[in-house]
Amino acid sequence: METLNFLMQGFDVATRPTNLLVALFGAFVGTVVGMLPGLGPINGVALLLPLAFALGLPPETALILLAAVYLGCEYGGRISAILLNVPGCAASVMTSLDGNPLARQGKAGIALSLSAMSSFVGSTIATCGVILFAPLLAKWAVAFGPAEYFVMMIFAIACLGGMVGDKPVKTLMAALIGLGLATVGVDSTTGVYRFTFGSVSLSDGIQFIIVVIGFFSVSEVLLMLEKTHSGQQAVKAGGRLLFNFKEFCFTFATMVRSGLAGFVIGTLPGAGATIASAMTYMSEKRMAGASGKFGEGDLRGLAAPEAANNASACGSLIPMLTLGVPGSGTTAVMIGALTLYNITPGPLLFEQQPDVVWGLIASLLIGNVILLAMNIPLVGLFSKMLSVPNWVLVPAITAISMVGVYAVHSTTFDLVLMIGLGVFGYILRKLDFPLSAIILGFVLGELMEDNLRRALSISAGELSILWSSPISLCLWGLTALMLGMPALRKWRARRSAQPANA
Amino acid sequence: MYVRLFAASWLLLCACLAVLAWGFQAPFAYDPVGPRAYPLLLLTLMAAASLWLLCKPDLLEQRFNPQAAGRALLCVLTLLAYALLFEVLGFVIATALAAFVLGLLFTGRLLPCAISGLLMGVLLYSLFDLLLDVPLPLGLFEAFVES
Repeated sequence: METLNFLMQGFDVATRPTNLLVALFGAFVGTVVGMLPGLGPINGVALLLPLAFALGLPPETALILLAAVYLGCEYGGRISAILLNVPGCAASVMTSLDGNPLARQGKAGIALSLSAMSSFVGSTIATCGVILFAPLLAKWAVAFGPAEYFVMMIFAIACLGGMVGDKPVKTLMAALIGLGLATVGVDSTTGVYRFTFGSVSLSDGIQFIIVVIGFFSVSEVLLMLEKTHSGQQAVKAGGRLLFNFKEFCFTFATMVRSGLAGFVIGTLPGAGATIASAMTYMSEKRMAGASGKFGEGDLRGLAAPEAANNASACGSLIPMLTLGVPGSGTTAVMIGALTLYNITPGPLLFEQQPDVVWGLIASLLIGNVILLAMNIPLVGLFSKMLSVPNWVLVPAITAISMVGVYAVHSTTFDLVLMIGLGVFGYILRKLDFPLSAIILGFVLGELMEDNLRRALSISAGELSILWSSPISLCLWGLTALMLGMPALRKWRARRSAQPANA
Repeated sequence: MYVRLFAASWLLLCACLAVLAWGFQAPFAYDPVGPRAYPLLLLTLMAAASLWLLCKPDLLEQRFNPQAAGRALLCVLTLLAYALLFEVLGFVIATALAAFVLGLLFTGRLLPCAISGLLMGVLLYSLFDLLLDVPLPLGLFEAFVES
């Protein structure tokens, strides 16, 4: 019952007029940003972060804004995936597989409303999961010492590499680059300057906002440059606009299943919405067997990834709130935002800042209702926004990015650094390195080094403290499992392929 | 091929940084690890990953396209010019110019780009500086405001 009390307290925070207004605004902006091809939740959150500061929002309001944007992006990504066959963000790649064929069959309206509904079901399931499990985990996480934290972060990085599977070395490398970028600046324990090259501007490290905006906005602008010539034609959202009861019943089981699966995947630190949507799509396809028309416009193929990616977006808030370890690239940005407010996410957050935590959780539920209410009638308006030409969009993104970076320190050096990082990010993207791993590494970097050194101070340099407690042993085991999984899968695939060859 | 090139240059960078990192020494030992070990550990791991990529690069579908690269270079130069002129010219003029050039790069037509650039400079300035209290440089306009 304690949880229920806290939840009521959270609703109290979330229904304050400013917070409701901010949630509404965030949901709208999030949907638009998620819809625009190429711009994902990380960009949305990164662009609004300076705004939240400039407005002097209190931390809970700022967090509600960012969470609304995050959820809104997951809703918005599907619009361009269905109408244009261009996923608005990485997580909605799977949505386009079945969504676009449906739109071509003249069922765009049904596809859009049904996917909004499955997004709603998915996030509601996951939010209930957050309410149930987050306080439990927070209580348990108080037992984490520095050594356990260090191993936990290694596990987070292994989740990135192991789950993505097809390019583990590149993912590892990207995470290492992020960790390395975080070492720039003055060392907090000894005061030694590291990798500053004598520059005063680098002495307190590379600012978080500069890294995020550089890597995501600037490199996105460069990537968009290549796609300017391919004009896309949006499918008109016509026909029946709302799904009927039969279609809803047909897909309801899929939504619930995928929502649950998405939630579980989302709670793993490091594994995000993209993986959740891909995995649920595959398993639904396998379960439907020959009766499904997956890839040609199966309603279940639309509902599964949408429910899963929204559920995992909410689920990824669990490791962020309870452990202070981000569950996805976007929550990594949110942790950065919280640290800017001098709030360190972690197990104590539930005791020290209940307003922030429960206000956020309650606002997730409210934000979901807002998004559902906004998305079904306003689809026409949103799809019109898809026709904003790039020659207006790109300069606007650039100018807002510049303002965001300039607002931190007001130096030209930061602007140039941002562009440098953007070019570097562009090269890495062209070479197929996952950028979200870099952000995750960058956020974890300082925490990881601090915890490692604190652990070794406790044990007076004895390395065995890193695997002496049961929690850390368990985490090492999970890490090994995650790293071993791609190899195991490959081995099994080879073994099943051999009889076919023979 | 490009992955190999990247891995090789990264390996070289790692070596340079490692030499640099070797010099990080605290005048007094505060903790058993010190400021040097962690960066060196990261660099070692990175070097190992680069070596792996050097030996076994994955296949890349991307082809080098000189035309696209030229445009990307132009875009980067525009952005750099924007960054460097940001304080000198002030937000309004720098944004108007950069938005105009970027718009042209993104296949906009001359007049609409000029108009959208000017509008963006003025509107964003009033939005951020006047409404949201983010201080932006006035640059050339400073003389007018002061007097």
